[in-house]
Amino acid sequence: MLISLSLPGDDNTKQRPQRIVSTGLCADQLLLMIADRSQIESLSSFVTDPNMSYMIDAVGDLPLNNSSVEEVIPYQPDLVVASSFAARDTTRFLRRLGYEVKLLNLPTTLEETYVLLREFGEWTGNEARAEAMIGQMKLEIVEIQSRYAHRPEKSVIVYSPNGYTIGSNTLENDILNKAGYRNLAAEMGIDGFQQISLESLIAAKPDLLYIDNNVINSDSLASAYIAHPALEHVVAQKHQISIPTPLRICAGPMLTEAIAYMAQKR
Amino acid sequence: MKLEAISSRALLGSLLLVLFIAFFTALMVGPVDISLFKAISSEPDTSMESLILFEIRLPRALLALLVGATLGLAGAALQGLLRNPLAEPGIIGVSNFAALGAVVVFYYGLSQAAWFALPLGGLVGALLSVVIIFALVGKSRSIVTLILAGVAINAIGGALIALVLNFAPSPYAMQEILFWLLGSVANRSTNELLIALPFMAVGWLMILSSGRFLNALTLGEETAHSMGFEVNRYRWILVLGVAASVGAAVSVAGNIGFIGLVVPHLIRPFVGYEPRRLLISSALGGAILLLVADIAVQLFSSGGEIKLGVITSLVGGPFFLFLILKSRNMML
Repeated sequence: MLISLSLPGDDNTKQRPQRIVSTGLCADQLLLMIADRSQIESLSSFVTDPNMSYMIDAVGDLPLNNSSVEEVIPYQPDLVVASSFAARDTTRFLRRLGYEVKLLNLPTTLEETYVLLREFGEWTGNEARAEAMIGQMKLEIVEIQSRYAHRPEKSVIVYSPNGYTIGSNTLENDILNKAGYRNLAAEMGIDGFQQISLESLIAAKPDLLYIDNNVINSDSLASAYIAHPALEHVVAQKHQISIPTPLRICAGPMLTEAIAYMAQKR
Repeated sequence: MKLEAISSRALLGSLLLVLFIAFFTALMVGPVDISLFKAISSEPDTSMESLILFEIRLPRALLALLVGATLGLAGAALQGLLRNPLAEPGIIGVSNFAALGAVVVFYYGLSQAAWFALPLGGLVGALLSVVIIFALVGKSRSIVTLILAGVAINAIGGALIALVLNFAPSPYAMQEILFWLLGSVANRSTNELLIALPFMAVGWLMILSSGRFLNALTLGEETAHSMGFEVNRYRWILVLGVAASVGAAVSVAGNIGFIGLVVPHLIRPFVGYEPRRLLISSALGGAILLLVADIAVQLFSSGGEIKLGVITSLVGGPFFLFLILKSRNMML
């Protein structure tokens, strides 16, 4: 009887969390995708930011928090999910108070994204849904790659505000590779998220310049980097593209959409 | 004094020569090795080499030259005007207030209203701080009063910069405090150069036109007055000149400290302690020092560059301490 009541694939030896609070965007999105709505108590306010959130339409009337300890405790959560790189103090505090806190790692490849999704399914007791999601992603990537297989490989460099670029060991690098691009910054030996000099960028002569244009209109020195006239000369002869932030900022099934988007521009 | 034997011409000539060398070295230094010959011989803006030389290195080196000259000149002018050897745009808070004015204009979109909005913001900020300094220090030549007033104005300026950036609409504003407090000429283009140049040039002319007044002022205000100088008028010309040039320099390159302190002190013995002769040579010296500092910045760091103010403060800070110790010994 009990078995028929629970969802397929659920782990019955462990209690399934019923009062989950998230304090970070990536955890918010995965909760909305993988967990039952009834399991969710509160999401972080980032999830309603139209510039970053992929799941903005799914939020509905779920209560939001600003990732502070004081806001989390009143929900008496049986599980808190957070990003490993943000709100460290909140995490440490909650653990000291005896709350169960699970941290999402920052995946640097699609393989690690699958591992993360699988873990997330286990934490929240939704293994089957996570597995289905992973299977679907793998299928879609194969489909995208075969659809654009006839197009030649292209070289690319990413240029973001403050002169940052995407190097090796980043999720974005893996997305670019899967979409059929050679990331020249990674080949230059840039590892992770680092600054690249304008000179090196021009000297590398990429086929495409991928500019994070989500902030071009904001007044800051960071955006002035992107507005540098030297760049205009390069861009005038080449292409300027940008993956919408919500598709690439977090690990999840929307990454295949990012790959499709980039592959289609190749 | 033996050093006085050096003639004006010899001093200016050697400074110009060193400046020339520093400028060309700056054009040759960068993360990518390029051939300058190839850059010059190819069609403008078509080859990678010419793009790097003319769009990246040339504006950067020119900006370092002009900002350095401004700071050296303003330091010499302020030291003469306040008759105080420790006066300097950074130390007395003029640079921080200029940065504050520029930050208000820049982060709230006003800089797009008109090309001159940004340097004008710097000018207004700088002017405000010089007026406050005058009100606080007055005719006192006490070094302690000046330094304490500078500490207070600097602290207020720095806090207001942080406050303004905290409320700025851009998500990057907070990270950019470092630029405004430590200065940089990296990734600046011809645009910034053209925006700042008119204000800097007007400021220089105003300061340079007051050279003879500064000479007279060394003998005291009354003497200067009896020599036919309208003290108040000249004082305002100098204050406005410093505010215009430093305001414009800071609004495109941030607050780069200590150039205006170090350079006039190094050069003063060579010009026979004459404020008028100090002006132009300090401008040349400041340009040299900032170019060298910017070359050092590029040589010692790859990718994530250290800010210019780090280098100038590492050199200028100890020098400042040395001057304080020296002046304390003199007072004892």
